[in-house]
Formats: sequence, C-alpha cells, structure tokens
Amino acid sequence: MHRPMTTETFKLGYNDIHDDVVRSIVKTGPKYYIALATAGGVTLLCFFFPWSYQLYYGIGAAGMNHPGVWGTYLASFIFWIGLSHSGTLLSCVLHLTNSSWRKAMYRSAEAMTLFSLVVAATYVMVHVGRPWFIHWAVPYPNQMELWPNFRSPLLFDVMAIATYITGSTIFIYMGSIPDFAAVRDRTSGWRNTMYTLLSLGWRGTDKEWHRLHWAYTFLAVLIIPLAVSVHSIVSWDFAMSIVPSLHQTIFAPYFVVGAIYSGTAGIVTVMFVLRKTMGFEQYITKLHFDNLGKLLLVLSLIWTYINGVELFTAWYSGTSEEYEALGYKLFGYYAWLYWEMILFCAVAPMLMFSTRFRTSFVPMLILSIAINIGMYTERFLIVATSLSRQYLPDAWGTYVPSPVEISIMVGSFALFTTLFLIFVKIFPSVSMYEVKETMATPKMEPAAPAAGSPA
Amino acid sequence: MTSNVIGLFHDPESALTAAGQLKGAGFESLEIMSPVPIHGVEEVLGKKKSVIKNFTFMGALIGGISGFALAAGTAIAWPHPVGGRPIITMPPFLIITYELTILFGILATVLGFFISSRLPAFRNRVYVPESAVDKFVVTAPCDDAEHFKRAEAILNDAGAEQVREIGESDL
Repeated sequence: MHRPMTTETFKLGYNDIHDDVVRSIVKTGPKYYIALATAGGVTLLCFFFPWSYQLYYGIGAAGMNHPGVWGTYLASFIFWIGLSHSGTLLSCVLHLTNSSWRKAMYRSAEAMTLFSLVVAATYVMVHVGRPWFIHWAVPYPNQMELWPNFRSPLLFDVMAIATYITGSTIFIYMGSIPDFAAVRDRTSGWRNTMYTLLSLGWRGTDKEWHRLHWAYTFLAVLIIPLAVSVHSIVSWDFAMSIVPSLHQTIFAPYFVVGAIYSGTAGIVTVMFVLRKTMGFEQYITKLHFDNLGKLLLVLSLIWTYINGVELFTAWYSGTSEEYEALGYKLFGYYAWLYWEMILFCAVAPMLMFSTRFRTSFVPMLILSIAINIGMYTERFLIVATSLSRQYLPDAWGTYVPSPVEISIMVGSFALFTTLFLIFVKIFPSVSMYEVKETMATPKMEPAAPAAGSPA
Repeated sequence: MTSNVIGLFHDPESALTAAGQLKGAGFESLEIMSPVPIHGVEEVLGKKKSVIKNFTFMGALIGGISGFALAAGTAIAWPHPVGGRPIITMPPFLIITYELTILFGILATVLGFFISSRLPAFRNRVYVPESAVDKFVVTAPCDDAEHFKRAEAILNDAGAEQVREIGESDL
C-alpha cells in the first residue's frame, strides 16, 4: 500500500500535495473565467436556446420522422450514458483490486461519470418532447390511475439510470469527505462554510477511517453490477424490438464494452486537460497514460471482435431482411460513417501496441478524441441504419439530423464542460488522502513547522 | 474538570506506540486522528467491528422484496393478459428487483455509515487541523491535572512533537 506511484511523487511530502490541491481550488486565474464564460455561453446558445425553440414549436423542429423516429437525441443519450461508464466503474474495480495508480485520477473520472449522467438525463428531457410529463414514468399513486408498464425496457431504463445517478453521486461524495475536511481547514468565508457543511464534521479518527473504508468497499461492490446492468438495459431498448440488426443477443455485452471503451477514452482526454491546466503534472503521469492505454487496447480488441460477431450473426441468419440491413450498413447511405467508425475504433487503436505511443501525451489525446468520435458514430449508426431498412421497401427511408438536433448535440458538450469547470473549483479534483497513501509515510525527522490554521 | 490531552506526532509508528502505552497506562476512549488511514490501529486499540454490513444487507433485502412487490403488485392490480403468458412475468420483473436491490442497498450503506461513524456531527469535538495535513494525533480525555501530567509524560517519551491541552471550554 505504501508503494510510491512513481519516483516523481516519491519526492513530494504530504504538505506539497495539500498545497497543490488547495491552490487548484482557491486560486483562479482569468483563463478559468474565460473558459467558464465561453462554455456557459455556448451551452445557452447551442443547447438551451434550440431546446426552448423545440418546446415552443413542437418536436417537429427535430428532423425525426417515419421511419427514422429515433435520431441524434437517442444516439447522444446512449453516448453520454456510455461515457459515464468508465469513471465510477473503473474506480470501483481498481479500488477492489487495490491498484494504487487509480488514486491520482479517480476523482475526476467519477466526476465525469456524474456529469455525463446529468447530460444524458437532460437528453431524455429533450428527446421526450413534452418533458413536463416526465413524472408519468415514475410509479406513484395518482388520480388518473396511470401506472407504468414494468415489462417495458424503457421503464427498466428509468429505474437503472435513477439508481445509477444516485449511486455515483453518493460514491464520489463519500470518497471526498476527508478531502472536504482538509480543505475546510485551509479556507475562509463562504468556502469555509460550504466545506464545513460538506465535510459533516469529519475529523479523520481511526474509527471514521475504518467506517469509511467499509462503507466505500460495499458501495464499490454494489456499483459494479449496477453499472453493467445500466448499459445492458439501454441496449435492450433496441434489442427487444424486432427490427433487423437490432434484435440481437450480443447487444448487452456490445453496449457495455462500447460504454467502457468510450468512457476510458474520455478519461484520457480529461486527464490530459486536467494535467495541463491545473498543474497536476506530478500526480497524473506517464504511468497513468500507459495503464489507460493498455486498457483501451484490450477494450478496442473486444469491441472489434463483437462487431465481427454482429456481422457474422446477420450473415448466418440467412434471412433476407437481415441481409438487406447488413448490406445497407456496410455499403449503403451511411456506409462512410461505418468505415470511419472502424478506422477510429478498431484500426487506429492498434497504435497503442507501442509503449512509446502509450506514454506520449499528445498522441494519446488525439487518439482518445478519435475513439470518442468513432463511438458517437457507432451510436448514431445503431439508430439510423437499422430504422432506415426495416422489412418491406415501402418502409425504407433515410434520416438526417436537423439544425436543431445538431446544435443541441454541440451544446451538450459545452454543458458537460461547464459542469466540469464548476466541479474542479468545488471538489478537490485529485484525492489528497489517497495520493498521500501511495507516498512513503513520514519518518522521524526534524519537525517541520505545523501547517494549517486553527479552524 | 475534564480536559483532553493531545499529542502530535510526525509519523504513524510513534503515534501508534504512544497510543499503545496510553492504553496500557489505563487511559480510555483513545482516538488517533490522521491524514491517511493507518495500518495496524486495530492491533493497538482493539478490533473494530462495523454494523455497516448489516445495513447493506437489510437494505438490499428490503429493496429486492419491494422491487418485486412493486412490479408483481402492479401486474396483479392491472392484469394485462398477453397470449396466455403468465401475469407475473419473471424475467422483466427480476430486472426491477435487481435495480431496487442495489438502490436500497446503496442508501442503507450510507445510512449505516452515518450512524456508525457519528456523522454528521452537530456539536464541537476535539480536533486538530494539522491532522488533516501531515500530523498523526493521539487524543485521550483526562479527569484531572495529575492525570494529564501522566499522559503528557507518556506522549513526550514516545516522541511527540508537541503536547497540547484542549478543555471542554476550548471546543
């Protein structure tokens, strides 16, 4: 447990990490405000403005029509749910397997989970068209005798995603309590009040550490199967229909692997940005990129395999409608998107066989963004290609997103960025106590002056 | 007069030694505050048992039962026969059961954590801010001045950097 992560962190003392993390919260430069204002502005302009227009005008403002009744709204929803899959899931698995390299990066990875989920939930609101009736999906006694159908995958979705948001919020909060307490002692004014409330009076006694350890472990054990179930259930939204190329048993593992794949790529992107902008070069190192790269490589191979299985199953089915759907996917209207996806998600990741590539920051950043573009395409294709070629030719057609849909898609990235920018100023974005754990414990030395002011 | 003796240490090993000696000398309700979880506390201060697992288990059990009851109850109250299939359909209802098992399990774990670790704290308690940064702190309540002197001597012998007194009124 006390093994140093790298030689770089080995040289740091407990005090240094404390100072670095508190500085990242308290000291805010003009660049941060510019970034926040830009992200917030783009969110308003590209996300909330078109959405308001759609609410006023009606769902016809989006380009969805028969047969393409699902469009980028649903594709983006799957994408964001998928992106949320790596943070908390990876953090739980690495916590249970005692991987100490997790510790410098898991807090931001979990934040990514949380905010992707928030964006995904907002997408549901956009997608349903009349969000003021969204509470109809919740089972509660009412005078209309309106009660949800528990056999519908859409209701499984409501249950799973509500549980997942609750679980991820609690998980990131529980892990942050000791750090809130540490920041509390260093801040003043409204920040002090906020951290006093958030830390709940944490003192770091032996008993509190013991309880936190067990509660955290139990939560990790509960959240792993939950995360797997969430994207399986999202896949059943499609797989339980009888649309050719959607009605496949491989869909649940396909979605889960795709989700973890795009989530891990997302972590690489976020780690790169945090490292550069927050001055965490000493904590997020080549080691992290190397390990994440290996993970990405494995996931890319599994993902490629499952894509192969999907094609094989369609061919092996021997039915004309599956043949038609298969041919349309590979050579039809959307084929260029399909081959772009294969290039970004199956071919380009092969570069990560090279250690030199995995430990280079900028190439990893570019690859991680490419993977996520490919994964977004994958989700779009699942929706668009299958609905365009269902059974009889008179039901065929194509779907192209409308400007409102494209704008909301762009705006959702800005929404995510805005939330993340707010997060880094409230949460200690590197887990202080766990990075301290990976460092050598202090030995008897001449006493350093006591740090921190009395609360 | 009741006061608390506070010993600040630079490293976890000496803090543990000091805690062991204090315990040996008859001091009770010892606490060790540290910036990171210390390994080996249980050997010195006795085994800890947490009730959290009971909360998790009961929460998950209640969640599972209520999840199934919700779906099955709905199906019985509003029967929707589909081609002679059973009214209580196991596969989809087990998914609802599964999700609610986890949801209630998570909520009960949090409740168990709060109850067993006495958080959130509403009154002031003995606290040393340095313990959140890089100091390992041993505290024990003392009944009188003579008691305090004994504790102070033990802490100093174990290599404490600093020994402080925090009375009831200082909290």
